[in-house]
Amino acid sequence: MRLPRRISPGARARRALLGDLVAAAALAALVLSLAAGLGVVGFFGLPLLLAGLLWIGLERLLGRFR
Amino acid sequence: MGRPRRLAPWRRLRRIVLLATAICLVPAGLSYVADLSEPHNVGPPIASVEWMRAHGGNGIVSQIENWYYTLTAPSKGGPPLRTLPKVGAETAAITPEAPSYRPPNVKPLIHPPLRGEGVWRPAAAHAGPRPPVLLTTFRSDPEYPQFVAGVAWIDSRRTRLAYLPGLAEPPEVSHRGPAEVPPPRRRRLVATFNGGFPLETSNAGLVYRGHTVAPMVDGIATLVEYRDGRVDIVRWAHGANPSRHVWFAKQNLPPIVYAGRLNPNLSDGPEWGATVNNAVRVWRSGLGIDRHGNLIYAVADYQTVGSLAEILKRAGAVRALELDINEDWVSFIAYRHPGAAEPSNLLPGIYRPPSRYLTPDERDFFAVYAKGGW
Repeated sequence: MRLPRRISPGARARRALLGDLVAAAALAALVLSLAAGLGVVGFFGLPLLLAGLLWIGLERLLGRFR
Repeated sequence: MGRPRRLAPWRRLRRIVLLATAICLVPAGLSYVADLSEPHNVGPPIASVEWMRAHGGNGIVSQIENWYYTLTAPSKGGPPLRTLPKVGAETAAITPEAPSYRPPNVKPLIHPPLRGEGVWRPAAAHAGPRPPVLLTTFRSDPEYPQFVAGVAWIDSRRTRLAYLPGLAEPPEVSHRGPAEVPPPRRRRLVATFNGGFPLETSNAGLVYRGHTVAPMVDGIATLVEYRDGRVDIVRWAHGANPSRHVWFAKQNLPPIVYAGRLNPNLSDGPEWGATVNNAVRVWRSGLGIDRHGNLIYAVADYQTVGSLAEILKRAGAVRALELDINEDWVSFIAYRHPGAAEPSNLLPGIYRPPSRYLTPDERDFFAVYAKGGW
């Protein structure tokens, strides 16, 4: 079965998000299996997530003023 | 509402990384919340650090501690002390005429000695001519004349040592008990002290009530109590499982004093595991045994492993192991009266309260009970 070639931009975005979610889940599984423990995951993961969210937030905030 | 734009590849990569991070944090967060929801007698910051240590983060915690303690290392010298902290009961110091063996007073390192420096005093009031526990303090390092070491001598013939599991340490054990000194046993309680590194940090063995909780490791310093009540500190050489004569055995790192000499490898090396650098000055505690089989406990702030070993040797230890380090975990508490009345820390700077082991505690510990009357 082939995916339709001509799809709406919204459907393309949803399809991309689904693909990213699958990739993220695979990456998370890899990290969790390789990490020494959940303490290490938390130690590096929490600042990384906060920094990423701050980055996106700042980007959106600055975008409003452009 | 605008049309969704196609995301640039780097933005998609960022999204994947952040989604993956969020997914990873779900089990970590659940574990953390579950751990902190359990009963603790330490604050959330320490409980958080302990959670991290127990979940693969011991090396990270130790590295951060190394940086912190190196940055806040004390400077040498400073104004001389005029008095030592008061330890022991307000009774006369033990005299050499006492009818049975008494340890010789600890020879002061710094001259002139301060009043009472190195002189043994009974831990309990009205303990008679043969107090089961003696206490003293002395300045242990001429380069740091403001540092005071606290030392306790425990008469093995007049006491019985008990190992008591804490709320969280060791993690898996049968007969955990109340994680505090059982109230019916407090009548004969003379002292309590901290029990050494957690198993996940020490990577060493533990035997409790004759059962192997964690396999014993050869070459590691071991406090062992036999079923007949004898205690010893040995370099373990009996394989993973002890003989049926062992009642409890707790291991912690290589011996720091052995055959009356300091371990020549007290500087860092892989044998010391993921712990704070041996040369970093922090609160440290240790336990030794003298040539007559009596235990000697030592605790002091700003100690390296080497200086702690020096303290124990100077106090008469011929074999010794390091116990806990850091202000959150060291404790030696003496009880002035029967019934665990009037508990007091061996040194005033000890952070944990004297009531520590009279309420449930995180960590395992040792209780010293007087044999016979008190």
